This record gives sequence, structure tokens and C-alpha cells, in this order.
Amino acid sequence: MPEPAPPRFSIKPYLKKTKLWKSIFRHDFTDSPRTRLQRVFGNVFLHLHPVRVPKDALRIPYTWGLGGLSFYLFLVLTVTGILLMFYYRPASSLAYQDMKDLSFAVTLGRLLRNMHRWAAHLMVVAVILHMVRVFLTGAYKPPREYNWVIGVLLLVMTLFLSYTGYLLPWDQLALWAVTVGAQMAANSPLLGNEGPFRLPFITTANDARFVLIGGTVIGDATLIRFYVLHCVAVPFIFAIFLSVHFWRVRKDSFSKQTGDKVDVWPHLVSRELLAALLMTVILFVWSILMNAPLEGVANLNVTPNPSKAPWYFVGLQELLVYFDPWIAGVVLPTLIVVGLMAIPYVDLNPQGVGRWPKIGWKRLGPIAMPSPKERAFAVNVFMLGTIMWFVLIFIGAYDRGPNWEWYWPWETWSHRRMTKLTLKNIPNLWGLLLLASYFALGSPIPKRIKAWLAARGGAKAPAAASAALHTGLGLAIAGAVLIPLLISPDPAYPNGSRYPTLLEALGRSQNAPIVHGMFRVVQTLGPLMGYVVNAGLIVLAGLTLAWLGVQFGRFKDRRYEELGPIKYAIVMGLLLMMMGVLGKIGLRLLFGIKYILSFPGVNLNI
Amino acid sequence: MKRVIFVLLSGALVALFMLAMWQDTTREWTHPQQAFRNTLAKEERSGLHPGIHQMILADLNRVDRCTTCHVAIDKPQLALAEEPFTAHPGRFLEWHPPERFGCTVCHGGQGLATEVKAAHGDVPHWEEPLLRGSLVQASCYQCHGDLAPIAAYAPQLVRGKALFEAKGCYGCHTIKAFGHEFGGTISQDLSDIGAKPYELIKADFEMLEEPHTRIHWLLRKLAHPRALNPGSRPEELPPGEEEVFPSAMPHFGLAPDEAEAITTYLLSLRGLDLPSSYVRPPKEAPQPVYASVVERGRAMFEKFGCNGCHGAGGAGGRRNWNAGLGQEVPSLLYVKAYYGNRIDALKDLIRDGRQPAPRADPTRPFPSLYMPSWKGRIPEGDLDALTAYLFSLHDQLPAQPAMVSGAAQAAASDAPPEAPAP
Repeated sequence: MPEPAPPRFSIKPYLKKTKLWKSIFRHDFTDSPRTRLQRVFGNVFLHLHPVRVPKDALRIPYTWGLGGLSFYLFLVLTVTGILLMFYYRPASSLAYQDMKDLSFAVTLGRLLRNMHRWAAHLMVVAVILHMVRVFLTGAYKPPREYNWVIGVLLLVMTLFLSYTGYLLPWDQLALWAVTVGAQMAANSPLLGNEGPFRLPFITTANDARFVLIGGTVIGDATLIRFYVLHCVAVPFIFAIFLSVHFWRVRKDSFSKQTGDKVDVWPHLVSRELLAALLMTVILFVWSILMNAPLEGVANLNVTPNPSKAPWYFVGLQELLVYFDPWIAGVVLPTLIVVGLMAIPYVDLNPQGVGRWPKIGWKRLGPIAMPSPKERAFAVNVFMLGTIMWFVLIFIGAYDRGPNWEWYWPWETWSHRRMTKLTLKNIPNLWGLLLLASYFALGSPIPKRIKAWLAARGGAKAPAAASAALHTGLGLAIAGAVLIPLLISPDPAYPNGSRYPTLLEALGRSQNAPIVHGMFRVVQTLGPLMGYVVNAGLIVLAGLTLAWLGVQFGRFKDRRYEELGPIKYAIVMGLLLMMMGVLGKIGLRLLFGIKYILSFPGVNLNI
Repeated sequence: MKRVIFVLLSGALVALFMLAMWQDTTREWTHPQQAFRNTLAKEERSGLHPGIHQMILADLNRVDRCTTCHVAIDKPQLALAEEPFTAHPGRFLEWHPPERFGCTVCHGGQGLATEVKAAHGDVPHWEEPLLRGSLVQASCYQCHGDLAPIAAYAPQLVRGKALFEAKGCYGCHTIKAFGHEFGGTISQDLSDIGAKPYELIKADFEMLEEPHTRIHWLLRKLAHPRALNPGSRPEELPPGEEEVFPSAMPHFGLAPDEAEAITTYLLSLRGLDLPSSYVRPPKEAPQPVYASVVERGRAMFEKFGCNGCHGAGGAGGRRNWNAGLGQEVPSLLYVKAYYGNRIDALKDLIRDGRQPAPRADPTRPFPSLYMPSWKGRIPEGDLDALTAYLFSLHDQLPAQPAMVSGAAQAAASDAPPEAPAP
């Protein structure tokens, strides 16, 4: 009997038995349930994922992959950014030259810079859209409140990363965009040299602006500061917060929990790969077709007109038309960020987690409005704020020309056009009345008081009290705006103004249509009849406001009972401030009012 | 399905990367280099390396890559007749070795760029366009303080500088060059007009046909000063706005070649801070000798730019909107008739000036031109000579002494010149 032939030597099984192979590849690659799991938890990068996820959470129209895309763009920015660092020297005499080198001499340098620039813009967009998606699908609700806060911080850091990167090319665009931002820091309350309530020891050499730009003017110190922040410090902190963000997603699980569970490998991992590929292709095409802007070398002596902030801050810059810098540049952004962080803690409504809101129709008096079927208040307020933000950005970016004058996108800018505006302040006492009655509009009538009223005055007493309260406030608001416009003298007359009264000064100008109308009424009907008609109109405006207030009265009371006094005050305060911004814009555009309250001695103007 | 998308996307990515690489390896500058190589015999190619050529000029803080395409600029033995393969004409490279001077310090343009339009400065956001033709002479005056020795090579610059002095531009404009500052303060300081940022002339560009460059702007401004600043009449403005007069700069009626010569001179005024080893400041000019006091006065009249506003030889005729005496800068032919016996009043008027000039119509804005104060700027000796010259102008009047003096006295009693302006 011949002996059976010894098994033929084969290299693959042999290699697979070596320790070297095992320590690199760790597991088998046959597609079995066991290896699917092993791939995820045997790999430090994939281990960020859970092993299995609900099928519906993977559907693209649920998340649009926005969080993952934001992270992928961060990776792209890291890689292109590190490559750019090889060619960039953060000194004012060299930085601009290095930009030219990237464009004209470095192999693929222009593509690299374009990709970094466009990916940065895309990342800001992706992060904001990711936040909108998380809000609309209720994914911030318990147990995910903490992660929402981390997410808001990541959004702030994304903006700051982009802002610090803006200066590095050292061209006119960079210098003056950063100047706009740095000037806002100088207007911080307490800590800014030009802000209200400046602390006694604050000077140009130690205020918030100095801390930001490392000097009193933007120069080499600013450049190296922004370089370190942009390339090292902020990305480092960003990465830490990012890890926490991912870890919380793992711990809190996905907001969508319907559908069978499927393996992350291959279902989720393959989608991620495709999304990343698609994004890379888009970035490549964009970067080949369009060059990142580069203007003339930075020159502190020549201010471009207009100088615009980076696009994501241009909405705040547009608010500078209506507010002083300390409000538009410091208070409002702070309120936005704090307000966003507060959302999960003041929104106690458990509805709507894991699904997009469905839109229905709702009647508001005679008007039918589209409105979500559940979480109507939360969704409407959030979307109003978001849309306002982007509308302001659009106006600032596309409708503003030299001297920040209004130009339609199809109009050609002219540096010879200078529209003279007539803007006046409401006298401070009227302004105080206006502010006080506006914020008092947020006050509810709690149950206890209602019961007490009903006990004292019968069943109709609470409703009557509400009507009286809102009528009073509505009349006070309308009166506080319109009465001083009718009766106050113009304090600038005769030196700064050619007309003695506010009514005539604003009525004869081109930029206060409503006061113009009031003035025309007085002119055509004579003083007596004119003032009577105007007074009637004021009462009418007040009653309209009162009617609106009554409409929201029951809503306010219900919210108050749900939230309790503190949360209610936060929600109503933020809501009133947001609507107040709209209101102030209206006052400026329709009435020619510059300030409601003005204390120039302490730089406090509202 | 996913596999198909994966393959398609990966394929697209690879293709895009190839496209980018292809674009990168066939950049604009590679074509002329290749074309030039093809004209050479094999042994002639030995010294030429393909790639971007650059001169790093540490002293001037410049990097010039012009020789990437202008390959034969310093190799006359290889040069061809057509651009960009010509050799540099003349012996200029001998005098200005390229490794020390580069190209752009004389010729302008963007030395760092390697694409034709960008390198020649014909792109937005690069404000030093190529100085084409004889405009390049502007660059000589950055270093050569004395133009006399190089006059043969820079005739247009020399002519422009002479015209600037002869037309009386110094009467209103100051220029600081080679540490020496001179001129009037009525209008803009022109010390770095040759580098004036485009941002500051955007409003003028709106009135100017293309191209919107500093060179074109200067040419137009010199030829037609009011074309770019036509002013605005009250009926064109919102109610209550004050009218704006057209530019007060007089129309000198310069011929195109004169305007180009002055432009060349103005472009040389860049306020650049070049290293002192490059600069040759002018020597002290010898004190001129004049044949007579009147001759000296005539020289002063031109030196201080009086003729800019008062006209050549003081003959007048320059427009000054809403000024008394016919909305013109006064003619000086009648100075003797006014001040014949009050020479001190005349000197005081020159010393103190008259600002603002009296208005013809008191409801309209003040005239833009006015007599500035010359105290401390015209030395007393020169002032004596100047008044003597002004008195001598009387001889140029037609010989009708009786009528002229009568009219002059009537005018003097109506509006006495020394009366303070309203």
C-alpha cells in the first residue's frame, strides 16, 4: 500500500496561521453573522458604531446623512489643511506670497486650496442642516439633551474654525472680514472698549478685541494667533467634543427605533462609504470648476466698500443696520447659542421623537396657515428663527452694496450713490414704556389668579381681566411708538435737522413710510382733524395688538401651567426677544426709528 | 445597486483626479517652453531646464517668474524675433543685472504668476499692470534721482516731469520724492499716485470706459479733468441737497502725447521703500542765475505753480465755479492797475492767501479753488521778484490805458479785492 501523499504545501493557510497575520487581520473574512460583528467591534474606527441598528434609522430621508457628512468634511478639512500647512508661513510679509505660490507654482496647490475652502463652507452648511434635522425629528429630547448641547458647542466651534481660517490668506477679503468680527468684540458689554457698561480698567490694550486679535490693530500677532487657533487649538478641542458627541450617540442610541435590527456591517458602513465618495466627487468637481477667492494683499489703510463678514456672520452684520454692535454682535449671538442649548431643557413635550413633523392647516383668526400637526409651537418658532437667520444672510450677502445701501442682486453697484437717511430716536421715557409693555405682553394669568378672579367677579371675570390686560398693553405699545412721533419736538433742530418736530422731519423724509402717511394726513386735513384721525389710527393699531394678545392669552396660560414659572420665563423671554428683533427691524424700516432707548454717555442704545 | 454606485463614484473620482493631474502638468507656461525647445538644436538645449524659472530678489522682497516663458530674455544668441522668445533690447540688463533687479521692479506685472494674464497684471485684484511701451520709463525715477544722465533712455519721463513743472501742477499738488517735498496743498498729495489703490478710485471708474486701470484713469483725468468728476446740479439731487461742482482741476488742453508723458511721470511716484543700495538720490542743483529781477520772478511764478490756476503768463481764463469776477480765477494782467501804489497789500495777499474765494452767488457753495497762503513757502527775496514780475505783466495789455484803468477802478470800488470773503 502506497502511503497517502502528504498534503500539498499551500502558502495561504500557512500565512493565516502565523501570529503576524492574526495580529493584523484578526478575523476571518467570510460573510457570516460572526464576522459581521467582529468587523465592527474588532476595529477601533468602526467601533464608534453599534453592532446592529434599526432598519428605519438607516433610511436616507430620515437623516440625509448630515451628521456623518459633517464629520467626513471635518476629515477632508484636516487632511487638506495639513497639506496646506506645508506651504504656508503665518507672517504678514509671506502669507499672501504663499497663496500665490499655491496658485501658480505648487503641484495641485490650487486644487488643494479650493477643496479646503469649499469643504469649509460645506461643513458650515452641513452642520447647520444637521442641527435643523435633529430638531425637527425631535432627536434632542430625553435622553439626548446633553448631546444636543455638545452639538451646539460643536456648531459654535465650526463657525470659529472657519472664522479663524478666514484671515490666513492675508488678502483684503480676509483682513476686513476679520476686522468686522473683531470690531464686534470691541463692542462687548463690560469687556469691550466701545461697549456699554465698560469696566473701569478696560482699555483698547486689554479688552475683548485685544484678546481676540492680540493687539490693537490686526497684524502679525493676529495672524500667528489665528493660525495656532485654526490649525491646532480649536481642532484639538473640536476633536475632544466630537468624541463625546459620538460616544453619546452610541450611549443614547438612535432616535429612530422602528423596524427590524440589521447589521451595521455592511448596511450602514457601505452607505457611509458611498456618501463620503459622493461628497468627494462633488468637492472635486466644485474645486476644479471654481477657484477660491483671493483679493489684493491686505492693506490696513484701504478699506473696501462694502467690507463684508464671512457669509455665516453676514446676517449679524446686516443686523448692525437695526441695532448697535453690542446687541447685533454680542448679545444676540450669545442669546442664540444659549437659547439653542436651552431647548431640550425647556421643551417638555414628549411628542415627535424619531419622525419628521407632518404639516397641516391651522386657522389664526381669518388666516389659514400651514402648521405642523404636533409640536406646532416648537417647530414654528425654531423654523421662524432659522429662516430669519438665512434671510438676513441672503440680504447681507446679495442685497447690500457700497455704503451698505440696498441693491437688488441684478442692480450694478455705484460708489457715487449716497442715499441720505433721516432717522430719529423715540424719547427715552416713551421708549421705556414701549419696552416694558412689550415684555409685559408675555405675562400669563396663572390658574390661581383666575380662580380668585372668578370667585370675586363671577365666571366671566378671568376672560375680562385678560381682555383688559391685553388691551391696555396693546394701546401702550402702539401709543409709545406713535404718540411721540406725533407730538415730540426734534432735538436736533435747528442744527442737525431742518424741521422742528419729529413728525415733520420723518414725514418729509423718504425712509419712514408710515410717519410720512401720518404727516400727509395732518397736512391734508388740517391740524385738528389730522390729529384726531391719527389718534384714531393709534387706537386701532393698539386694538389690533390687543386682539393678537387675547388670541395668544389662553396659549400662554396653558404653557405657564405646563412649564412652571422659570421655564416659562425663559421660553417667553427668548420668544419675545426674537420677535423683538423683527419688531425693531419694522420700526426702522416703516417708522424711521433709530433707537428706542438711547444713552450715548454709556454707549447704551437699543 | 450599491455596487454599481460604488463603481461609478470610484470611477468618477479616479477620472477627476486624472483630469486634475492633466491640468496641472499642462499648465499655460509649459506650452511656450515646449515651443521654444522645439526651435533649438540638440546641443543648444543643454543649458535649458524645463520647469518654472524664478529669480528670488531678497532685497526687493520679490520673486519674479517671468523667465519661465520669456526664456531667451538674457540669451541673445538663442532669441527669436517673436514674443515671448525675444532677447532684452539695449544694454539694460548689463546695467541692471537680472539676478539683482529681476523684471517686475521696472516692468510691473505680477512676478509670482505663471499664467499670461495674471503675470501681466490684467486680472482683478492685481493693481500693478505691466508698464507697456514707453510707460516703462516711469520706473527709472524710482532709483535715478537725477534724470539728466539717463535722459536719452527716458525721454518721455523727462518730458512728463518738465511738463508737470511747466503747467503749474505744483501750485495745488505736493510731491515728495527722494526725501524732498514740494508743492501746494489745495488738492491731493501725489507722492504715491503711481500706487493709488483702485478701491479709492472706484467712483471714478464708474465714469471711465474699460480698462479700469490706474494708467487709463490718469490719462483720462489729465486729458479731461472734469469728465470723471462732472459734479451734480441741484435739480439732479434729492430736495435739499447741495450742488457739487465739477472737478476744480483746470482743463490744460493737453495733447495725447503730453498726457501720456505726464502719466509716465506720475506712475513713477510710487512711494516705494527701495533699499538704499539701489537708489541714487539727486545731486544738489546749483543756484540758478537770472538775468533780471523780472526774469527771476517769472521763474518763481512757474516754480510755485501760479500758472496752474492763473493761466500761462498770468493771463487767466481758468474756470472756478461760483467765484466772483466772472467765475474764473483772476487774471494777473491787471495787478499793476489794482496794486500799483499798494505793493504791500499785494504781498500780504500772497502771504495770507484768500480762503475761501468770494462767491458770485451767496446761495451756492463756495468755489473749489482759492488763493492759498504762501507764508513761509515763498522766501521774501523771491516774493519781491514775483511782485516785480506781476507788475511787468501790465505791459502785455493792449495800449488803452485810460479805459483799462477806469474799468479797473470801477471794479475795485465794487468789490475791493482785500475785502474779507462773506
